[in-house]
Amino acid sequence: MKYNVAVIGAGIAGQQAAVDIANQGYKVVLIEKEVSIGGKMITLSKVFPTMDCCSCIATPKMSEAAKHPDIDLFTFTVVNKIEELKPGFTIKATKKAKFVIEKDCIGCNRCADVCPIDYPDEIWEHGLGVKKAIQVPFDNAMPQCAVLDPDYCTFCGACAKVCPTDCIDYTQEDEEIVLEADSIVLTTGYEHTPIENKKEYHGEEYKNVLSGLQMERLLAPHGPYGHVLRPTDGKEPWSVAYVQCAGSRDESVGVPYCSRVCCMYAVKQTMLLAGKLPLADVTVFYMDIRAFGKGYEEFYQEAKIMGINFIKAKVAKIKELPNGNLMVRYEKMEEGGGVDEMEMEMVVLSLGMMPGTEVNRMLDIDVDEYGFVETPKANIDPTVTSMEGVYVAGAASNPKDIVDAIAEASATAMKVGLYLSSLYTKGHATEAKVKEEI
Amino acid sequence: MSEKKKVDEKNEEKVAVFICHCGGNISDVVDCEGVAEWAKKLPNVVHSEDYAFMCSDPGQKLIEEALDKGATRAIVAACSPRLHELTFQNVFRRKERNPYYFEHVNIREQVSWSHPHTKDEATEKSKRLVASGVAKVSLQGFLEAPTVEATKKTLVVGGGLGGLRAAKDLADKNVPVILVEKSPFLGGRVTQLDTLYPKDDDAKELIHELIEEVLSNELIAVHTNSEVTSFAGSIGNYDLTIKHTPRGVTSKIGEKAAKAIDICPEVVENEYDYGLTKRKAIYQKYPGSYPSYPAIDWVNCTKCGKCAEVAEGITLENDPTEQSINVGGIVLATGFKPYEPYEGEYGFGQHPNVITLPQLIRHLADNPSEELIWNGKKVERAALIHCVGSRHREDIDKPLEDGSLNYYCSRYCCTATLHMANELKDKFPDMHVFELFKEDIRSYGWGYEDYYTTASEKNVRFFSFLGEELPQVEITEKKHPLSITVTDRLTFNETMIIPTDLIVLAVGMMPEEIPDIIDMMKVPQGAERFLLSVHPKLRPVEADVDGIYLAGTVQAPMTSTEAAIGASGAAAKAAILMSKDIIELQPYVAEINESLCKGHMTCLPACSYAGAIYEAEVDGKTVARVNPALCKGCGTCVPSCPEGAIQVKGWTLDQYKAQVKALAQDPSEV
Amino acid sequence: MSETEDFKPKILIITNLKCSDPGADYVGQSHLEYTPNAFIMRTKDPSVFPEEFYFYCFEQGFDGVIIMSGGTDTPFKGAYEALAKMIDNVYVSMQERGIEIARLRLTAICSVCAEAFIKEMGRIVEAVEPLGPIKV
Repeated sequence: MKYNVAVIGAGIAGQQAAVDIANQGYKVVLIEKEVSIGGKMITLSKVFPTMDCCSCIATPKMSEAAKHPDIDLFTFTVVNKIEELKPGFTIKATKKAKFVIEKDCIGCNRCADVCPIDYPDEIWEHGLGVKKAIQVPFDNAMPQCAVLDPDYCTFCGACAKVCPTDCIDYTQEDEEIVLEADSIVLTTGYEHTPIENKKEYHGEEYKNVLSGLQMERLLAPHGPYGHVLRPTDGKEPWSVAYVQCAGSRDESVGVPYCSRVCCMYAVKQTMLLAGKLPLADVTVFYMDIRAFGKGYEEFYQEAKIMGINFIKAKVAKIKELPNGNLMVRYEKMEEGGGVDEMEMEMVVLSLGMMPGTEVNRMLDIDVDEYGFVETPKANIDPTVTSMEGVYVAGAASNPKDIVDAIAEASATAMKVGLYLSSLYTKGHATEAKVKEEI
Repeated sequence: MSEKKKVDEKNEEKVAVFICHCGGNISDVVDCEGVAEWAKKLPNVVHSEDYAFMCSDPGQKLIEEALDKGATRAIVAACSPRLHELTFQNVFRRKERNPYYFEHVNIREQVSWSHPHTKDEATEKSKRLVASGVAKVSLQGFLEAPTVEATKKTLVVGGGLGGLRAAKDLADKNVPVILVEKSPFLGGRVTQLDTLYPKDDDAKELIHELIEEVLSNELIAVHTNSEVTSFAGSIGNYDLTIKHTPRGVTSKIGEKAAKAIDICPEVVENEYDYGLTKRKAIYQKYPGSYPSYPAIDWVNCTKCGKCAEVAEGITLENDPTEQSINVGGIVLATGFKPYEPYEGEYGFGQHPNVITLPQLIRHLADNPSEELIWNGKKVERAALIHCVGSRHREDIDKPLEDGSLNYYCSRYCCTATLHMANELKDKFPDMHVFELFKEDIRSYGWGYEDYYTTASEKNVRFFSFLGEELPQVEITEKKHPLSITVTDRLTFNETMIIPTDLIVLAVGMMPEEIPDIIDMMKVPQGAERFLLSVHPKLRPVEADVDGIYLAGTVQAPMTSTEAAIGASGAAAKAAILMSKDIIELQPYVAEINESLCKGHMTCLPACSYAGAIYEAEVDGKTVARVNPALCKGCGTCVPSCPEGAIQVKGWTLDQYKAQVKALAQDPSEV
Repeated sequence: MSETEDFKPKILIITNLKCSDPGADYVGQSHLEYTPNAFIMRTKDPSVFPEEFYFYCFEQGFDGVIIMSGGTDTPFKGAYEALAKMIDNVYVSMQERGIEIARLRLTAICSVCAEAFIKEMGRIVEAVEPLGPIKV
């Protein structure tokens, strides 16, 4: 199949780019490696600084991208290789088996109701919730199509018996597909820095030490527990600490850069916590609060007024106590420094951002030492990559918040449109000539 | 279409009601299930249910299903209509139904968020609002959006980075562009910078390349010394007047420009380097600026004629000319201005060695030297103070002239200051450089952190002060003429005294003043006076006036890179608009019932839009008529008619009365 | 609000689409609160209403009506001036009909005027409370 543009990665940046390109009249293929589009954003609770519920912003965009007449959507599809045709590209990808005939599935989720297998949901619940061996991925998933996980399925056949459209196919196999596109947009997003990176915080080991994304799930309206509770004992925490830069601005873990979003998501979460757990003490250990965007500083000041405790300090160590509480040892960065300790019932590590996909595995493009896509014209056009016809948007080129990712995706759409117009009307370059009388 | 229209005209009043939980945003306060159950009792309601996220795909499907099952109209009680009215109207469009049979009821911002602590009352209020929405949509008449042919041309206001970028992108998409710049020269504020972080590219080189591309593009008409003076019309068809003041000089002046400038007796402050130097009344913005020949500053020119005596191409005539233009869309790229410290702010205006960061940038760019000399003396110690005019605190910082405070963070200045500290250390390795920052260093962007770490490595000394405890500056007679006292949070909260030769104030960004444009176009401003987009994530570059887009720092402080991105995004939206031949306008316009109209024509003077209401003859009888393309639907004419013959479609008095009745009624009595 | 009396005035808030209705949204976004016994009806512009309309509102049982116009920020030319004139006339008629004019209030609220919104709501409640329920 031939397209004008292939957008790889259907998080918020990919959706925005795809829609803005398609609205210019181009045929777009949007490729997503997970079973639903939505990316990281769809798993969030609310978004700063407007405090809109995340679904209110994300789901209409997902719906727009998925229903656009000029956008074809491939989910659960992993790009293996992109070959340059000069001009144009061939994309070789694997469309993984969902074991469900997508066009027939009506998303009723009756299969999940009868499925006897529960296992942790690492993608959409960040390990806190469970899912069935067959189910529609989550409430707002797009497409609303059930997916069977063969690693957990016992092939008991219960689901097939109740499926009203008879769309479960235990014999389905992965399909190798080849697509062509004249231009590529990389919107492969980010992963958070590994929680085990900071050994001294024991994020992997202590259950009451959560990642920021896990806390998002606890705060989300349809989160795994429906409330903010400690994973070890299901108790409402009376005290919560945030450890900022837990994996960013830290040469020792190989991430010296600032991940740009963690300050604001932590501030946002503390405000949501203050609403959900009005009696809890919430403390943020930070180096600098980088509230730089429109309305962000005002948002941060509001959190301070709400009584969130901000301490300029570097957390040195976290130690679990027998009751599941956590002793946070920190080094003060002001007022003379010194080391102090505070006992907390829950700790959230504000993890940073790393590239979501090794893009240079699929195509021969320049990436920086961390694996982010290089943008050689960063100052004037940060959507351009080292390869002609390949553009980038969102966190694929470096950490970015949702506002900035969306803005960049629209700009990328413009650049792709311009590239295609020049490609289709070759040889129309004009020489610079200064006009008289302006 | 005509078949469908017939169905619409006979649309029965079968209303489906949906109550959105908005996750918990609404349902944490309002009993959504209870409201939905109660709404079943309302007249005309054939279906009522509640759901977690109405705007999600499954939520939208619920509406589709209700329409399939016979509902003809619907209301969704959810967030503000500004967020998702369009989303739900589009469900109707997808089902080939008339979208105007949808009514949006706001129970989030205006109920659950405004009354979080009175849950019962909030639930009751929601019921009344739902009843009001049902009453309104039940009385909705058949509406059809009038269409206009769109003018495929865009106006870009502002000839700085944002405007140039947007103009160039649009022209490359084959959209003709009119670019107006109020000053005589192109390039805006970026021309006043030296190198840009993060890549240390030469600012002038980048902007000159862009200017050349714009000037060589046949589809872009550039008007310098020009501004918008009138504005009318609506999306797809804006009529504007451009006032152009002659620059007084043509390119004929050639090599003689230097002579003409030299002989001019009027010496004024040079705004290009923020008053550090002087310029003449006939001037070039900077050597190599665009256009390449001078302009006359009419405010300061006395028309003495000396310049014209030594050079050709000078006409001392400044009567402005006006030009009417018609465009389909408008990109506003009017940019920012640096915050101007008040006299006495950290010694500014009281001692010549207290300057702003933009001033120092200009000075260093124009005066390459091995030593930094200021006011005749070598600068051995320089202190840079952050957050001047940004992150203001109540009762601490002095309000601006209009009484407001700049609570916001100006985003660019932390990194710009670090960039400068590095530059000072590189150029003058012996200089002692101090940075005093307000609580946080915000080097947030890609590569920005490196400036922070390298500055520390180069022994730039950092001090941190609280927003409530600003550093104090004293002018002394000592070796170093200035002294800063700061309570430093990085040490033992000790009071430190820093003697210094130079104080550099990292001033924030403020929106360029555009009161006329705001007044004419009615584009909303935020609390910080920058222009507001409809929504920072849903519609980030669109102003709340259809067909007007925001490019760059007109909407918030940004770096040049971010401004370029914003401008391309705005251009993308404008280009999508320009790709349409026909644009649908709002159907909400006045309508005159000709059988009731007695031709008093009292409506004519009540209307402020020329041509929107006109007199017509029907069978020898005078009647008033409405031109739907010119009517804005404000309804000001409605009460002027003694016969009650005028209504605004979709917002009729009958609908309002039904709403009032529904709002007034106790829900328990329904 | 008075604790001793049971009377909670029922207020109709008339907003306009471009200024005060977003302003009312901003109140919610800013987590500011006001009496829930006040109900917003949004209009394209309140200059649409003839005199009788306001009496209709009182007849339906609203104890007070507050018109939140956009003032001079309203997107429509001449609309605010026409509205102000209309309200002047309504005041005269109210007096003639024996309705306290404090029950009707004309204000201007912009799209970010959250504080002003709260203040104006406080004012009308304060003004109407001592008057007791509407009698028409």
